[in-house]
Amino acid sequence: MAENAVQRQTILSLRDTIARIENCSLPGIVRAAKAADVAGFRRGREGSVPRKVLPFGIAALDDVLKGGLPLEGLMEIRNAETRDAGAAAGFVAALAVLYQQVRKEKGHLAPVLWISQALASREAGQLYAPGLKSYGLDPERFLFVSVRTVKDALWIAETALSVPVFAAVVLEIRGNPACLALSESRRLNVRARAGGVPVLLFRQAGEEEASSAFFRFQIKPAPAGERPLPDGSALCGSIDHPAFHLLVEKSRAYGSTDIFLEWNAHDRRFYPLDERRSAALQANGQPENPVDPLSAPAGRPRRAQPLGRLLAFARAS
Amino acid sequence: MVFVAKIDNAMRLVALDTLAERIGLKRGQGAAEARAMCPALDVIAADPAADQTFLEGLADWCDRYTPLVALDGKDGLFLDITGCAHLHGGEKALISDLLSRLFSLGVEARATVSSSAGLSWAATRYGNVAVIEPGEAGRVLAPMPVAALRLPAETATALERVGLKQIGDLLEAPRAPLARRFGSLLLLRLDQARGEADEPLSPRLPVPSFCAERRLAEPLMDEEYILELTRHLAKDVRASLERHGEGGRLFELLLFRVDGRVFRVRAHAAMPLNDADRIAALFRERLQAVHDDLDAGYGFEILRLAVLRSERLDPAQQDFSGVPEESQPLAAFIDKVAARFGPDCLTQASLAESHLPERAGGFAAVRDVAAVMGSPASENKLFPENRPLRIFTHPELVEATAEVPDGAPRSFNWRRTQYRVARAEGPERIAAEWWIDGEGHPTRDYFRIEDQEGRRFWLFREGLYGREVAAARWFMHGVFA
Repeated sequence: MAENAVQRQTILSLRDTIARIENCSLPGIVRAAKAADVAGFRRGREGSVPRKVLPFGIAALDDVLKGGLPLEGLMEIRNAETRDAGAAAGFVAALAVLYQQVRKEKGHLAPVLWISQALASREAGQLYAPGLKSYGLDPERFLFVSVRTVKDALWIAETALSVPVFAAVVLEIRGNPACLALSESRRLNVRARAGGVPVLLFRQAGEEEASSAFFRFQIKPAPAGERPLPDGSALCGSIDHPAFHLLVEKSRAYGSTDIFLEWNAHDRRFYPLDERRSAALQANGQPENPVDPLSAPAGRPRRAQPLGRLLAFARAS
Repeated sequence: MVFVAKIDNAMRLVALDTLAERIGLKRGQGAAEARAMCPALDVIAADPAADQTFLEGLADWCDRYTPLVALDGKDGLFLDITGCAHLHGGEKALISDLLSRLFSLGVEARATVSSSAGLSWAATRYGNVAVIEPGEAGRVLAPMPVAALRLPAETATALERVGLKQIGDLLEAPRAPLARRFGSLLLLRLDQARGEADEPLSPRLPVPSFCAERRLAEPLMDEEYILELTRHLAKDVRASLERHGEGGRLFELLLFRVDGRVFRVRAHAAMPLNDADRIAALFRERLQAVHDDLDAGYGFEILRLAVLRSERLDPAQQDFSGVPEESQPLAAFIDKVAARFGPDCLTQASLAESHLPERAGGFAAVRDVAAVMGSPASENKLFPENRPLRIFTHPELVEATAEVPDGAPRSFNWRRTQYRVARAEGPERIAAEWWIDGEGHPTRDYFRIEDQEGRRFWLFREGLYGREVAAARWFMHGVFA
């Protein structure tokens, strides 16, 4: 009997550890067992600490992120081609606006730090202060560092994570440099969680590669809506709020893989692109491989299926 | 050995060593003539820039005696040792220390201490007294030639022509006729030499408001020890900073190497500082950044920490609650980055009131925490909406097909790819700023463009058809989100 109980305890603690590694709430049975004391008392602060998240208010996106945008840790956003860097920078800046707003609601005026590899700024264009302002960021609280090497960028990022002042730290890197591999990303993630600061790794024109980011999105531009007129119709041929096509490449939860969003700088929040338009866009979008005999896997991020089983990503750099 | 340079279209001797002097060569002599006098002469072209660098290095070295060091022409230094002599055991001891150290560095130098700069200048070049007591100016000056007064060459020759060969003659002559004939400069120089007219020296470098110094018996090479000593110096500086209620914004660490070279390492602080540990931390980053340039050689013998700029330190900034204020860690971060990558690396978005997109926004170096944490200055200003998120510093030329004269493009080629325009908003016409660029700068018509896949670009056409240019060019200036 006693042996049985010990085994049960071992299994419970292992499950607990796994759950903590996977960073999700404990399965029901474990939670119940942990909450119930041997003596029958309930303990108050047991169980997993709820993750601090910022819900988007968009069901598809919140499902993928398990509740919302995490408020600390490493996240990765990439774009496939340099010409899409505008859209990806827009998405990253929008996330920065959201993080800044969270801090503002708590009464802190927190700056955003944008660290950029000089090459990335040169190829895809310099950030532009009036554009940032009309996008919803305070120019005074937008700090920008341009450094030559990735190593310097990482040093600044780590230094920034050690001080609890920034609303968000953006690390803009071009391609897949060898000095920002899995171990470095893990290190960044640990630092970011210790400092309680979100780090947005913005990989410009890079391949997907293994990292310890909480999620990885690929951003593509999507046609924007048309400006609404007072009578309810839309102004033909006009360009309204920026729209994004989000491809979920890595996430902790299953969900739809293509998400269409629109950023409204006045309300400082994302809106889903209305159903009809996103359906049309999805139908329009060419499938990556038109003769792919396999159906898209259900409940998994969609990507080109290699032959055999993919155990780990090869180094992209 | 002699040095020659081209003066008045002829190679002339500008400097010569003792041996050359001994065989009768003189400054200003032609190089060919000197060669004729002594065929084995070693003639080298003069390098004034290197001479200047060397003199500046020597001035740096002289910082060990006084912070007030001024350059004097091409071959002299003025040291204002007011209040410094006693630190070195008196004026005589100072001079003999200076000269013996210079001698061991291989520099042949002469020096005089006196109560005025003019007198020292004259005595160094034409006399042989080391220390001139305040009352002896007239007696020392009298036998010297008039050239010792730092006069222009023509005035000196004019004086000699009328028989006024020695300063003593001038001292006795009536002043008014002298001024009438030779100009007021002569009398000014005379008064300056006698110490009757004040002559301000302009120090080469700003004099620090606070500084602390350590002289070491044993030269120091290890970076760790240097940092440790810096921390001790910072503690010394802190005491005087606190007395004045100030905190330093710009620090300088002077490292005097044994062989006479002086290294200056500067560190900026984003907010007034007086904490020894944080000052030392600034230099820790800074020394790592300049590591390769800082060659310790045989070690450093003197370390000095100077506060070049200080500001009022608000006592309210140091609270005892133990909760760090928000601006403090940010200031530490700014200092760290600035110390490692230079003060201009970390920038802050800034807006300017201009219609021209290039001038309307940019990034300015962060110098102050208050600029980041303070209330936003641009809150109430009006700025145009619809500006791109990224902009190309140099607009990129594209080949566009567009309606003439002022239609939006239908398709364009950018970076070897063709884009078909799905929608376009515009034109937004922006004229050049004639008060800056001058007239005749072409007007630009900006279009917001969305291509068929949803990419949004900012294109402009340079010049108006018919009025400004015959064929307009199109440029890619930015990308929207």
